[in-house]
Parts: sequence; structure tokens; C-alpha cells
Amino acid sequence: MNRQSLVDTGVLLAGVSGGIASGMFGIGGGVILVPILGLLLGFSQHRAQGTSLVALIPPTGLLAVLAYAKAGYVSWPTGLLLIPGVFLGGIAGGNLAKRIPAAPMRRIFATLMFLLGIWQVYGAFRG
Amino acid sequence: MNLDYRELAGFFEVNGVSVIYILILGVFAGIMVGLLGIGGGIVLVPAMVHLLHMDQHLAQGTSLFILLPPIGLGALRQYWKAGNVDLRAGILCATGMILGAYIGGKIAVPMSTPRLKGLFGGFLMFSAVLLWMKARPAQAATPANEGRA
Repeated sequence: MNRQSLVDTGVLLAGVSGGIASGMFGIGGGVILVPILGLLLGFSQHRAQGTSLVALIPPTGLLAVLAYAKAGYVSWPTGLLLIPGVFLGGIAGGNLAKRIPAAPMRRIFATLMFLLGIWQVYGAFRG
Repeated sequence: MNLDYRELAGFFEVNGVSVIYILILGVFAGIMVGLLGIGGGIVLVPAMVHLLHMDQHLAQGTSLFILLPPIGLGALRQYWKAGNVDLRAGILCATGMILGAYIGGKIAVPMSTPRLKGLFGGFLMFSAVLLWMKARPAQAATPANEGRA
């Protein structure tokens, strides 16, 4: 196998891993894709993020949504109400990102996420 | 005709939460997406569980539904202009994700809510560590991946 097809195989497997996380946890999957592309496949940070965004454009979660919907696990009105906000907020956030240093923001957010994770696990044990 | 105020209020509510509140929550989640370059789901799922009092499964299914339209298109444009997009790798990733998301959905749907909640919490902590690692200064870039086609 040459280098290109080796990278392609790695990228495809990264997609499958990101997809499993996406379907299992109801997320986009970028949070898994970016580190795999960057840390394991040697993409630069910006290139990993840009490439991950490409993968998030097609409705890759369609089959997962259908599985949740069949079990009655989709709140359609809430979803429809959140879409415009997320879209507009995304543009605002993208512009804001150019003006403020990203590294401390990431750390604040990572800390927040870690605490939220502990809260979720605590909630799961409490029942 | 007498107008039932509570019925009218109910029209502007979902699960007893005001529509305006939900709209603002969407904007906040979107800002985090654009700012940090991460998926919206990781913000949306906990927000729906804790602020809108949704069941873990319901929040995850709704989040997946929100992520169906190409909400990251504006952000992608910025990366594209800077030449930071590997289209071939992106398309390959998307192909793998369609299959992976199907498998993930099949695993999560029959799972009990406390177990799924616990797993999600563990996943959040794991992602937080990955996000923290990303904040470190960039390592020396390998020339092979810096070439722009």
C-alpha cells in the first residue's frame, strides 16, 4: 500500500469512529474527528478543523435520527426552534473567534465540559 | 369568545419552556460552535437535559435532528478561504460517519437512560481532555500535510 491509500484508510476509519460517537451521543462528531486527524494522521490544527467541517456538511446523522425518531426520542418543535439560533450564532462566533485569543477560551470551555461530565455521571448514579 | 390565557401561553411554550428561551439557547450554542470549531451537539445535549429538562435519549435525538442541515457552512467558508480544507479527506470522513452514526444510534437507543447518561458524562470528560490538549502550542507541522493543492 502506498502512503496515500494508507492515509485514506486512516481517514475513513476516523470517520467511522466519529460517526459511532455521533450516533451514540447525539453530537456532530467533530470533537472526535479533529483530534484523530490532528494527533494520529498528522494534519495541522487548522486543516483538521476545516476538514472536519466538510464531513459535518452532509446529513451524515440521518440514519441515526431515524433510529431515535422510531423510538420517539426526537422533540421536533424544540429542534426546529434551535436551528436558526445555532446557524446565526455560528456566524457570530466565527467572527468573534478572530478577535479574541482562542487558547484560553478553549481551556475555559474544556474545564466547563469536564465539570458537566462529572455532573452527568453523578446524575446517572443518583438515578 | 373568551380567550384562555393559559392556552395562548402554551402556544409559545415547548415542555413548559418559553420559545424565546429556546431561541436564545440556540444562538448561545451557535456562538460556541463558531468560536471553538467544535460540534454543536456537545453543547446542545447537556443544555437540553439540564435547562429544558429533557430525557437523555430525547435530547440526543433532537440534537442529531438539529445537526442535519448544514449549519457549519458559514464556518467552512472561512477555512476554505484560508486554504485549510482537505476535501478528499473530508468526503472520506463523511462516508465513514454515515455508517458509524447508524451503528452508534443502534447502540444508544435500547440503552437505559441512567447508563446512557453516565456514558455521555464520561465522554464529555474525555472530550474535555482532548479539547485541552488542542489548546497547547502547535507542534512542528510536517511538510507533507502543509502542501496546499
